[in-house]
Amino acid sequence: MRRVIESDVCIIGSGISAAMVAERLAEETTASLTVVEAGDDSDPLAQRPALRRRFLDYGESPWRNDHLDGYEVAGIQSRSMQVGGLAMHWGGVTPRFSPEDFRQQSLYGVGTDWPISYEDLDSWYQEAEVRLGVAGEQGPPELDPRGRPFPLEPLPLTYNLLRLREWTTQCAIPMWSQPSAKNSVPYRGRPACCRNDSCTPVCPIGAKYSPDFTWNALRRANRVRLLPRTVVRRLERDGTGNRISRAVAVSRDGGPDLEFRARTFVVAGGYVWSSHLLLLSGLANSSGLVGKYLTGHRNVSGFVSLPLRLYPGMNGQHSLVSKKFMRVPRGEHYLRHDLRVWESAVGREPRLRDEQGKLLLGDELLADWRRRAATGTARVRAYYDVVPDRESGLTLDAAKRNAWGDPLPALSFRDAPESAAARGWSEEQIRKLFGEMARAGGGEVLSTRSDSFQDHPAGGCRMGNDPATSVTDAWGRTHDHENLFVAGAPTCVSGGCANATLTFCALALRSAAEIGKAFPKQ
Amino acid sequence: MAQLPRRRFVLELAAFLPLPFIARRLHNRAVADLDPRQLRALASAILPGDLGPDGVNRVVTAFERWLSGYREGAELVHGYGTGELRHTGPSPALRWSAQLRELDASARKQGHSFEQLGLDDRQALVRSALEGQRGTGLPPVDRAPHLAIGLLAFFYGSPEATDLCYQARIGSNGCRPLADSPQRPLPLARRS
Repeated sequence: MRRVIESDVCIIGSGISAAMVAERLAEETTASLTVVEAGDDSDPLAQRPALRRRFLDYGESPWRNDHLDGYEVAGIQSRSMQVGGLAMHWGGVTPRFSPEDFRQQSLYGVGTDWPISYEDLDSWYQEAEVRLGVAGEQGPPELDPRGRPFPLEPLPLTYNLLRLREWTTQCAIPMWSQPSAKNSVPYRGRPACCRNDSCTPVCPIGAKYSPDFTWNALRRANRVRLLPRTVVRRLERDGTGNRISRAVAVSRDGGPDLEFRARTFVVAGGYVWSSHLLLLSGLANSSGLVGKYLTGHRNVSGFVSLPLRLYPGMNGQHSLVSKKFMRVPRGEHYLRHDLRVWESAVGREPRLRDEQGKLLLGDELLADWRRRAATGTARVRAYYDVVPDRESGLTLDAAKRNAWGDPLPALSFRDAPESAAARGWSEEQIRKLFGEMARAGGGEVLSTRSDSFQDHPAGGCRMGNDPATSVTDAWGRTHDHENLFVAGAPTCVSGGCANATLTFCALALRSAAEIGKAFPKQ
Repeated sequence: MAQLPRRRFVLELAAFLPLPFIARRLHNRAVADLDPRQLRALASAILPGDLGPDGVNRVVTAFERWLSGYREGAELVHGYGTGELRHTGPSPALRWSAQLRELDASARKQGHSFEQLGLDDRQALVRSALEGQRGTGLPPVDRAPHLAIGLLAFFYGSPEATDLCYQARIGSNGCRPLADSPQRPLPLARRS
């Protein structure tokens, strides 16, 4: 016996891409919308100041019940499954990809071109920036092209970032205020940022966009029916056709199984759970590429000591950004990366013992700290792009199953051979850049490191024009099923060299426009 | 000997109680055991004189509140890019209350309580107590191996300490007007 819930569009997942799809469909069409989310609702905004206090005081997670127990999967994944998804925790950093990210093969003979160009995506980027409320500064237009201005004035640079920009100017690197989905002025009923500086993991006042704001508004207006704590186990086709007719689910609270019927289904479960559901369902995979080509970018970060008087703590999560290195100069070895600079206190923290090992107590400790804090530290980081290998993928893990007996995913990221071969050289070039920057500022590199994982992961249902080499078309519609879409991160062909959330949102909005064509306009 | 059956009874009873309940009771008892005067005597020996007596008292009161609010086994914020879940460890209050008593016991060997000793003597006892401790940096407060280090980590991790170091009103983690961002933080008012 199943409980049947019918709607025009059934969206599976409630993260930021799902929120974009739902909001656009709700505004533009009369379609009835059901959203199914495995996780719980998050705590309301009113409780976040107290939860943040516990985070600051004790390191406790401010997001209670934000994941499912028993979902310990093999491989790197961020642990978040709740209404709003991982974007409940995000830093709100919203750069666009660069035009070159979409044409790597044409321009440089590397990787795969996307089926869309930056110009195709420009208006969707713009729409995403308006919906999220992105505060940004226009960079040099040749490096940072955009069709229209940012919807919000940039977050002002702190005193520290202004000093650091003087340094990067000395290094001949143009840098500007990192675009962020944080209100520089009150916007859409949410207040302006007041530098609480805990954007990750939680903004206590709602100045940073998170998808719960969209869901709250849509629920208040009765424009979506959102069912949390509901795990979709399978998508199923109708008898012989290629259309998807239902999503079969279970409630984590028990009761009868659920059957969601809809004209259109949108899988919006991020880079892990989208591919996972399609593999569990045995759908959309005539290319054999569901779960393949997981992508992201690698990074090198470092700390640079500089003869500057800085005041760490002014707004430490805000940064400078440059796109100068996203374009490969003609004739040079392939390496593309962004560059970001933050204030930092690294190397200047208070300490218990001095260089001689003497224990510092009372006034000695403060005097030692003051002496070392007389000059400053910059944190620098470059994300460089990685060509994903076909076998960089997600598979079903027969050894690990959830409470309903379904295999959990296993993730294994892999660089394509050309990226793997260039990795050491690429990272060395970036470290050299940090060294040159340090010398230009009269400072020194304190330390550098490279994370072992690929950040801002995406892929698994890559888009393309050829059904033999891609899972979805350029609109996120699966090649195999005309009424099944994949939204956002999974459709990315490559991971670019900047935070990818805004790109996920732009892609999701573009999908929503295509989905909306099947329904009457508002 | 007469107490043995009672202790056994208590232990047997405890076996039926949930562990978090027992841990909480032990934590509360250890917090209550921290002598406020001795704690302030310790704080004034290891915190900077710039704080003054009122500042030291304020820091200790905040530390007591922090310790009282500590929860064992609470889920920590999970890192970006990792599926690992971590939790807070055992309450530090049990070892810290014992360490404060040990400082006092050492002082009494010199004929005074810890709080009656002068600054240099209190610092000397703290140095002696920390003799075996290695490590240059200040650990997370709850993982401090000694109460003195916990108190230092608590204070030096605070926005107040940062302001004191930089002699500027930075106000980390506080709500501050965005429009003031470009300005150098105002100088810290001197303590009268």
